[in-house]
Amino acid sequence: MASEPPPLLTMSGITKSFPGVRALDGVDLQVQAGEVHCLLGQNGAGKSTLIKVLAGAHQPDGGSITWQGETVQLSSPITAMRLGIATIYQELDLVEGLSVAENVFLGHEPTSGGFVVRTREARTAAAALLERLGHPEIDPAREVGDLSAAHQQIVSMARALSHDVRLIVMDEPSAALDPDEVDNLFRIVDGLTSDGVAVVYISHRLEEIRRIGDRVTVLKDGRAVAVGLPAAATPTRDIVAMMTGRDVEYVFPPRPAADAPPNTAEPVLTVEGLCREGEFEAVDLELRPGEIVGLAGLVGSGRSEILETVYGARRPTAGRVSVGGTPLRPGSVRAAVAAGIGLAPEERKAQALLLTESVTRNVSLSTLSRFARGGWLDRGAERAAARRATRELSLRPDNPDAAVRTLSGGNQQKAVLARWLLRGCRVLLLDEPTRGVDVGARAELYAVIRRLADEGLAVLLVSSEVPEVLGLADRVLVLREGRVVHEAAAQELDEHRVLDLVMEGSPTS
Amino acid sequence: MTQPAPSAQHQGPGKGRADAPASPPSKKQGPGARVLGFRADVRNLSLLGVLVVLVAVGGITEPDAFLDTGNLQLILTQASVIGVVTVGVTFVIIGGGIDLSVGAMVALASVWATTLATQEYGFAGILFTAMIVGLAAGLVNGVLIAYGGLVPFIATLAMLASARGLALQITDGKTQIVTVRSVLDLGLPDSYVLGIPPLVLVFAAVTVAGWFLLNRTTFGRRTVAVGGNAEAARLAGIDVRRQRLYLYLLSGLCCGIAAFMLIVLSGSGQNTNGNLYELDAIAAAIIGGTLLSGGRGTIVGSVLGVLVFTTITNIFALNNLQSDVQQIAKGAIIVAAVLVQRRTLRGGDT
Amino acid sequence: MPETSRRGLLFGTAAVSAGAFLTACTSNEPKEKAPAQSNQPAADDTEGKPVTIGFAGPQADHGWLNAINVQARSRAEKYSEVTLETTEGSNDTAAQIGQVKTLINKKVDVLVVLPADGKALTQVGLEAMRAGIPVVNLDRVFASPQAYRCWVGGDNYGMGLNAGHYIGEQLKDKANAKVVELAGIDNLELTKQRSQGFADALKNYSNIKLVARQAADFTVESGQAKMAQLLQAQKQFDALWNHDDDQGVGALRAIEQAGRDEFIMVGGAGAKSAMDAIKAGDSVLKATVLYPPTMAASAIDLARALGQSKGVSGLAEMEIPTSVTLYSAVVSKDNIDQYLPTGFS
Repeated sequence: MASEPPPLLTMSGITKSFPGVRALDGVDLQVQAGEVHCLLGQNGAGKSTLIKVLAGAHQPDGGSITWQGETVQLSSPITAMRLGIATIYQELDLVEGLSVAENVFLGHEPTSGGFVVRTREARTAAAALLERLGHPEIDPAREVGDLSAAHQQIVSMARALSHDVRLIVMDEPSAALDPDEVDNLFRIVDGLTSDGVAVVYISHRLEEIRRIGDRVTVLKDGRAVAVGLPAAATPTRDIVAMMTGRDVEYVFPPRPAADAPPNTAEPVLTVEGLCREGEFEAVDLELRPGEIVGLAGLVGSGRSEILETVYGARRPTAGRVSVGGTPLRPGSVRAAVAAGIGLAPEERKAQALLLTESVTRNVSLSTLSRFARGGWLDRGAERAAARRATRELSLRPDNPDAAVRTLSGGNQQKAVLARWLLRGCRVLLLDEPTRGVDVGARAELYAVIRRLADEGLAVLLVSSEVPEVLGLADRVLVLREGRVVHEAAAQELDEHRVLDLVMEGSPTS
Repeated sequence: MTQPAPSAQHQGPGKGRADAPASPPSKKQGPGARVLGFRADVRNLSLLGVLVVLVAVGGITEPDAFLDTGNLQLILTQASVIGVVTVGVTFVIIGGGIDLSVGAMVALASVWATTLATQEYGFAGILFTAMIVGLAAGLVNGVLIAYGGLVPFIATLAMLASARGLALQITDGKTQIVTVRSVLDLGLPDSYVLGIPPLVLVFAAVTVAGWFLLNRTTFGRRTVAVGGNAEAARLAGIDVRRQRLYLYLLSGLCCGIAAFMLIVLSGSGQNTNGNLYELDAIAAAIIGGTLLSGGRGTIVGSVLGVLVFTTITNIFALNNLQSDVQQIAKGAIIVAAVLVQRRTLRGGDT
Repeated sequence: MPETSRRGLLFGTAAVSAGAFLTACTSNEPKEKAPAQSNQPAADDTEGKPVTIGFAGPQADHGWLNAINVQARSRAEKYSEVTLETTEGSNDTAAQIGQVKTLINKKVDVLVVLPADGKALTQVGLEAMRAGIPVVNLDRVFASPQAYRCWVGGDNYGMGLNAGHYIGEQLKDKANAKVVELAGIDNLELTKQRSQGFADALKNYSNIKLVARQAADFTVESGQAKMAQLLQAQKQFDALWNHDDDQGVGALRAIEQAGRDEFIMVGGAGAKSAMDAIKAGDSVLKATVLYPPTMAASAIDLARALGQSKGVSGLAEMEIPTSVTLYSAVVSKDNIDQYLPTGFS
């Protein structure tokens, strides 16, 4: 590479804040025409925000964007499209009630007089695009809602190609695809780059990046920690190190002393051969009172799905869940709750809390019948019980009437925990317990979780943050694509090892 | 219909498992099926079935009164006013909104267009006023919802209250009799074109226009997109807010047209006009297969829904059933129609 | 962009003129002022001591209710010593209770109340009576006689009865005569009473049969719709009784549209449009049975007499009667001129 041609796209010093979060903190990105530029980073590193800025869907607070040598403002999605920037989002941005062809040309339909859609022309053009993508069997007249996820992905791609495109952003395009489909995807990407189109490719799978990537930019905590590394030559170790290298040290509560007698209590939760087709297979695990077990894995590895299946919110295709030796009726939340299982879900605002209601009402929600006398609520007893639970967890402010909406993320999480505490559950399932909780408050939350375990609760923890799983759990199960690939005591693992496992599937050394 | 031509250079790996994970297309036809070369909606077919059953019931119970041209004209005429309103409401619902103010807008437009002052301007004045008042009320709804950020339910509920109030203020509770002969004559048999009442022709024209708008224009695509997935629509470069504004304007315009039709039909304007139209129109649209959450629906289905309702009412009246029985039976038939529809849909799916 | 601005200008001008046109079009003032209502001489025209009458009625969303307000107001204006305190009309029970309480607090001498709902307003009627304010209960009756000093109102059963008798007399020589009934809102007690009276009257005529009945809801729109169905169902009949002249506007329209004229029609309530049609004599509408809004004027008279502790002339009684039920006269071409001024629109 003697003299590089001028870059197709240069983003420099891009900043973007949302209330309470600095999502992008001066990101640089340079993309050449005809290259596959990979964007890497952990969850929350800022990838999604960056590509939305590039798509014109978010306006950056600062920084500049240069396109083919000219400074541009991407003030709306349509501006970006007109320049030739197309984006394929991870959450499919399709309209289910419209046909394939209608989705492909949504917003820029071929028309007569700008108003009447030339349906036949749109279908012919869509069919041509689908053929180019290797899927001529998709009928352009079919409704998108009837298609499989993989086919919807193809339609999304056809939509991106329906513009006169110079740069395509693909956000985890392989997540919904099978290996055959991934091969097809790579053929398409090769075809595009040989036409001079640039591809910004986001994936968690390092092997994919090695196969098709030209250069790599790594994001961490809203910053680009490495710009334009050669994709083939950079060692995996280095990439992983750049993705994980941390400024913040978490403070974890001490585990039971290493020389303490091993936990030999009877398992309270036993999971045997649990399967859900397409999500996870043959998961076995045992959970003893006083123990914290962590599940580590990437998005799509099946970790949240396992938790929800144990809780009965999803029905397993095979296997069973037992509490205290008694098997639970599969797919029944009521059975799980009755047996003493509690879940603090990932989307706690949407799935667990009544945001505008008071702390008391949120905490007592699962135990209301206990305070009811012939249909009337004994509000004094309700309040006192809720207060005992929230005090035990040091929920702040110590005001049972405060609306949950006004609490910080950590204290909202404590309100969810208090609910299960009050219910007297034996097994606590925690899905991303520190999501949206700021760093300072995390340590306190960790201490609370450890204390609950010390009091005899069994805790199953899922987190996308590897250090959290390693620091908090006693035992860790590593998941990759729905399978447990490794199980070990937390002390025997470190972050790099776990990341190697989840990305490569086999230990490297 | 253009089918993609089978390609010579079609590559193997895609084909073998293209149909794989979620849906085997060979079996699944989805809600669409081809009948006589038209892509018809299975739900509409079942509704057509309900209509056939109703006609049979009417023909058996009251053969003389039910099965004649006069009664056909009557059913279609009675369906025409609420039918035009329903076409507008269908657009709003497909676009992810709701319009509770249609009955009130019809009332307001019909009284504003029949004041003594308006009647001075004759036929054109009445027609123009009805349409402009409808459009203006729709504009207020649209601006409040699209740009003011009000929830459609609340904004149109407020419009319901204030439009009814304004209509009462204009009329003072009185019935405004229309004396403009050309308007009155339009509702009489002498104006029928080839035996078809002019109001029915207007209804047919609005239906065809609505069908064309929904299925053949960018406006229709954008409506479905905004109702089905507003974020996807935004990312596709559609001005979501402007589209929402247009939808409420359209609903207002339909109410204006319906108000004029009601003036022709009843020869008067009254502040109690359009009573509970909002419920009838929404119910007809839902029975016709429009998803209350938006993103899916058909004009043909809504119109069939209206016809089912009107035919039921007609059969009841011809059989001299009293209102208590009518109400009970109407509720039962709504539930039955929706159940039959879901059955058929499931049958078509699996 | 000149194109856009020109379009904008055009649109703006159009919008402004449309707005101006519409504003001008809200007016309902007739070109010449219609003559005022009834001018029956009052029972006792000599001026007495000053009386303040509080008047609370429902919202005038119907022609008849509007006429009630007009009758009450203009009757009060006739007496120089009477002051009328009227409240905003309301259909909301709670709001009306509040309005009556306000009138009680203002210490009016007599109250005239047309309740939105008779039963619900009973309590506040009792309250007024206990406070020493006599209450004249208009039309919709309170649940307890203790809540009013005097009730004055229409006779729904009598309306049906008189309509039935009129039709019976017209058709008495016709064999196998068929009659059709277009009723009002079926949920209302008064509709049941009117239908009952009508049925009872027809029992006197063995040659007449009620062949069909449908309920409309007092609106023009429903009158048109229901009548159109009745006409379709009954290819030939001899008489129609319609409970309400407002819905009768729609019924007449449906009759016109169906081109039918083989029957006679009798209306109800006594709207001006119906009386005009009876006088003109060129439609099927031959008569209407009154439910007279002049009862409001009578109520004012009674209230004035109560306030001045007088009786009513023409009766031997010292006191005002506790209940006055008005007669539902049948207005036909024979007596139309007498009643025409009381017609309401």
